[in-house]
Amino acid sequence: MARPSNLATWVACCLSITLVLSLAGLLIGTSNLQASLHWITSGDAQFSVVLYDIRLPRTLGAWCAGAILGLAGAIAQGVFRNPLAEPYLLGTASGAALGVTFSLIAVDASIGSLAWAGKFGITAAASVGAGIATAFTLALSRGVVQTSRLLLSGIVVGFLLSAVTSLLLLARPETWRTMQVFLLGSTGYLGWSSTLLLGVIFVACLVPAILLSRGLDALTLGDDTAASLGLSLPALRLSLLAVMSVATAAVVGQVGLIGFIGLVAPHLVREALTVNHRQLLLAAPLCGGALLQAADLISRWVVRPAELPVGAITACIGGTYLVLLLWRRSRDG
Amino acid sequence: MADLALACRDLSVAYGSYTVFEGLSLDIAKGAWTAIVGPNGCGKSTLLRALGGLGSVRHGSVSLHGRPLNGWSRRERALRLGWLAQTAIPSDLTVADVVALGRFAHGGWLGQLGGQDEAAMTRAMQATGSLAWSRRRLSTLSGGERQRVHLARVLATEASVLLLDEPTTHLDPPHQEDIAQLLRQQAHSCGVCVISSIHDLSLALMADRLIVLGFGGLVGHGTVPEALAQDWLSRAFGKPLRIVQHEGLYLWQPAMSPLEQ
Repeated sequence: MARPSNLATWVACCLSITLVLSLAGLLIGTSNLQASLHWITSGDAQFSVVLYDIRLPRTLGAWCAGAILGLAGAIAQGVFRNPLAEPYLLGTASGAALGVTFSLIAVDASIGSLAWAGKFGITAAASVGAGIATAFTLALSRGVVQTSRLLLSGIVVGFLLSAVTSLLLLARPETWRTMQVFLLGSTGYLGWSSTLLLGVIFVACLVPAILLSRGLDALTLGDDTAASLGLSLPALRLSLLAVMSVATAAVVGQVGLIGFIGLVAPHLVREALTVNHRQLLLAAPLCGGALLQAADLISRWVVRPAELPVGAITACIGGTYLVLLLWRRSRDG
Repeated sequence: MADLALACRDLSVAYGSYTVFEGLSLDIAKGAWTAIVGPNGCGKSTLLRALGGLGSVRHGSVSLHGRPLNGWSRRERALRLGWLAQTAIPSDLTVADVVALGRFAHGGWLGQLGGQDEAAMTRAMQATGSLAWSRRRLSTLSGGERQRVHLARVLATEASVLLLDEPTTHLDPPHQEDIAQLLRQQAHSCGVCVISSIHDLSLALMADRLIVLGFGGLVGHGTVPEALAQDWLSRAFGKPLRIVQHEGLYLWQPAMSPLEQ
C-alpha cells in the first residue's frame, strides 16, 4: 500500500492544483484576464452572470467529467488487467456517436435545430447509444467470463457502429458540423444542470467502485486465484462494467468524446505512487479532474476569443505523455 | 477414513474432445502432505483445479470435509480451501496488499484488517521469508520471491486444506527445502491437509503421500514407500527411474553417466 504520507501529499498536491485551476477557470474566458479582474473589482452585475451561470458550472462540470473519466479508466484497467485499457473499450464511444447522429438526423440537424433538440435530447441520445453498444458488446462476448473475448467484441462493435455513423454522415452531410463538436468533445455547453448530473453520477459510481475495489485487487492475481478467494467473477466483472458504462455514457452525453483522460489519469497515479485499487479509485478521479480542467483552460486561452475543442487538447496532452512513457520505459529497458 | 479432508469420486475432466483423466477417485486425509507427481501434461494442475472447484469437470464429484464442494458457499469454501496458482502473476500491488487478500474471506468487501488478520499475515510472511518486502510492489520482485509472497497469501487464509500448484517453482534449492519443511510443518503441527503438485521428484519424495498420475490417469495413491515398492513412478513416467535412499531421504538419481575427466 502507498505510504500514507506519500498518498496524503499527492492528494494535497492534486487538490491544490485543482483549486488553482478552478480559480483560473473563473477568471479566464473569451475576455482577457485584465477585463475579468476589472469586472471583479468594479462589482459588475454582468460579470456575476458570466461567473455564476457560465464559468463556475463549466469549471466544476469539467472537473466532474474528468474525475468520472479517471474513475472509469481505473476500473477499465483493473477489469481488463491491461494498463492500456480505457473507458471507451466496450464500444461506448461509437454507440454514443451513433446515437447523436441519429438524433441530429431525426431533428433535421442544423445548429439552429439544436435549440429544439436541447441539451438533453443530445445527452439522452448519446447515453442510449452508449448503453445499447455496451449491451451489444456483452451479448457478442457471451458474458464477461473471458476478458479477451470481451475486448475483441468491444473493438468489433466499435468498428461496426463507427462505420454506420460514417455512412449516415455521408448521407446527411449537413450534420457534420454539429457532430464535430460532439466528436472532438466540448466543455463549452456545461451548465448547472449538466454539472449537477455529472456530480451525482460521479458519487453514484465512486461508491460501488470503492466497495468493489478489493475485487479489483484480487483480479490482478489471475482468475483462479480471485475465484479461490471466494469471489464470483462474472458478478464482479458485470458490476464493475455496469459502473464503468454508466460513468462513460454520462460523460459522453454531456461533453462528447474526450479521449486519453481515462487512460492517462490512472497511469499518472501509478507512476507516482504504489497504490491498491481503493487508493487508485480515489486518486485517479482527482488526477482526471485536474487534467480536464487544465485542458479546458488551454482550450479557452490559446485562441481566445475562439475556443479549441477540448478533446483535441486532451489528445495532445495524453499522446505526449504516452510517448514520453514509452520512451522512458524503452530507455530503462 | 475418519479424518478425511478432501475426496473425489469418479472424477473426469476433459478439454474439448481431449480427456485428461476419467473415473478418478481419491480420499485425502488431513494432517498429511500429499504430493501429486507425474510427467508433464498428465493433468496434475488440472486435478488440483478440479479439487479446488476452479475448473469445470465432465463427471464426478468432489467433497470437502464430507460435504459436496458446491454445497459450501463461496466464502465458506474460501475459508477452508487455500489455492496457489502455478504462475505467480506480477502485480502492481504491494506484498502486504497481496498477502492481505488471503484474509478476504475473513473480512469481506470492506476488508478492514483487524488484529487477528494482521497477526495471520505477519506469521505467513515470516514463515515464507517475505516480511522484509512487505512495502515493495510485487512486480519488482523476482519470480522466486513472488512465489514466496503468494505462498504467504495462501498461508494467511489459515485454511484447513491447501492446494498448491508447483509451490517451489522459481525457487533456489535452499528455499525449496525451506518450503518443503514449511509444508511438512503445516501438515504435521497444524493438522492442515496439504496437496501440492511438484515436478522435482526428490522434493516430492519428502511428502507423506504421493498421488502418481500417468497419461492413462491415476497410477497409484499411497505412502512414499508404497509408491516405491510398487514402482508407480516408473510406470507413470514410462521409463525406469532410479530412487536411492540417503540418510533416510529418498532421492531421484539421474541415469546419465558422469562426464569423463
